[in-house]
Amino acid sequence: MARRKAQPQETTARQAKLAELRAQEARRRRQMSIVMAAIGVVLVVIVGFIIAKVVTTSSSTPAASQAAAKVVKAATTVPPSAFDKVGTGAAQAAPQPISGNHSLTADGKPKVLYVGAEYCPYCATERWAVVAALSRFGTFSDLGTTRSSSTDVYANTATLSFHGASYSSRYLSFAGYETQDRQNLPLDQLPPEDKKVFQKFDFPPYTQSEGSIPFVDLGGKYMIVGASYDPSVLQGKSHLQIAQAMNDPNSDIGKAVDGTANLITARLCQLTGQQPGAVCKSPGVTAAAKAMSGS
Amino acid sequence: MDRTTPEVHVPAWAIPTSLVVCGLGLLDAAYLTFEHYTASTTLACSETATVNCLRVTTSSYADVLGIPFAVLGVVFFLGMGLLCLPAAWRRPGRPLRLLRVAGAVVGVLVALYLVWVELFRLDAICLYCTGVHVLTFVLFVVVALGSAAIVDETLASEREYDGST
Repeated sequence: MARRKAQPQETTARQAKLAELRAQEARRRRQMSIVMAAIGVVLVVIVGFIIAKVVTTSSSTPAASQAAAKVVKAATTVPPSAFDKVGTGAAQAAPQPISGNHSLTADGKPKVLYVGAEYCPYCATERWAVVAALSRFGTFSDLGTTRSSSTDVYANTATLSFHGASYSSRYLSFAGYETQDRQNLPLDQLPPEDKKVFQKFDFPPYTQSEGSIPFVDLGGKYMIVGASYDPSVLQGKSHLQIAQAMNDPNSDIGKAVDGTANLITARLCQLTGQQPGAVCKSPGVTAAAKAMSGS
Repeated sequence: MDRTTPEVHVPAWAIPTSLVVCGLGLLDAAYLTFEHYTASTTLACSETATVNCLRVTTSSYADVLGIPFAVLGVVFFLGMGLLCLPAAWRRPGRPLRLLRVAGAVVGVLVALYLVWVELFRLDAICLYCTGVHVLTFVLFVVVALGSAAIVDETLASEREYDGST
């Protein structure tokens, strides 16, 4: 049987094909290495995130910061079920409408302006509710902890501080100023536009007394002057005890703080067009809105 | 003439796995989109201090340039679903393959950004969002490994034709 001898052209083509297949195999191996490295990088980043999160919330931070973080976390994450069970609770006052057609906005969103001071016991009282309410619309960063003056009424009331804090929300803007610390030393200065609002609306005819604090302006439509619940419920309690009690709708603090927060939230919902619905249509907030419409 | 037509050999697992992942991702993102446009009134998620979907989905980080990330998720999984159809996987040449890999890379980068936001900005985890992030990562792995394992004989024949190596 005669064997056909491979033609030189056929042999060259076969060799070229073989070389190409080898090159493709090498390319594939190289690509696979790159892919495995890329997957590895993504996994390392994810593990890095988790480790960084664990480290920042545990051993590396000072005990005081950890305690403060625990307080802020508890105060800003009160479960909806607690708000719903409390309704208006033990709140004694609701944000009052501002007469006239005013509006206070920033970045295209209704703005909440808080003016207070760290020494002031009524500010110390009101802040818990303001923080609880605003946390339903957005996120605070760098909230601090402090106590009211040791020489004033309701001395040493444990509270949060807006000094140095920031707030981000899709629905609202917020500016909080603590004009003095607990030793009555100067702290935050109001920028001209906020000072103008404060000096206009925290004075007669809008209020009975001049420049009282805490002063909270809700979008130029509603305002709070003074504490909206009895400050004595906070007396003798630590920051953590108060923050944890806010999560308990059966506690006196929960009834007072969450009830006030529901009233503030209901007013804020009027500013945001009832957004977010999950907050504004919740039983606690609708109960508060109903109570205010009936009052 | 007994030369067979050059083919694109795709790993058997790549097509069904990528399609299933895209389908699940699409469902998850569609649910988050529905919740976004219905004001999150029916968001079925626990609201503890750590796991809190509402806190995440209604945060200021929930959209970019006015477009909700949930909507971008739907667009992403729809687009990737099209790029992961059998015909697309088996299409000869590099452009579609590169587009699929680029899409998966963009997806995983966005997912990493959103995980960072949840952990370090919002201090809250949204379970449905985490589902989307996990599916995006799985899709990245499937697309990357599947694309690297493709044997494309047409490229060999093109080079042969070009005389290139």
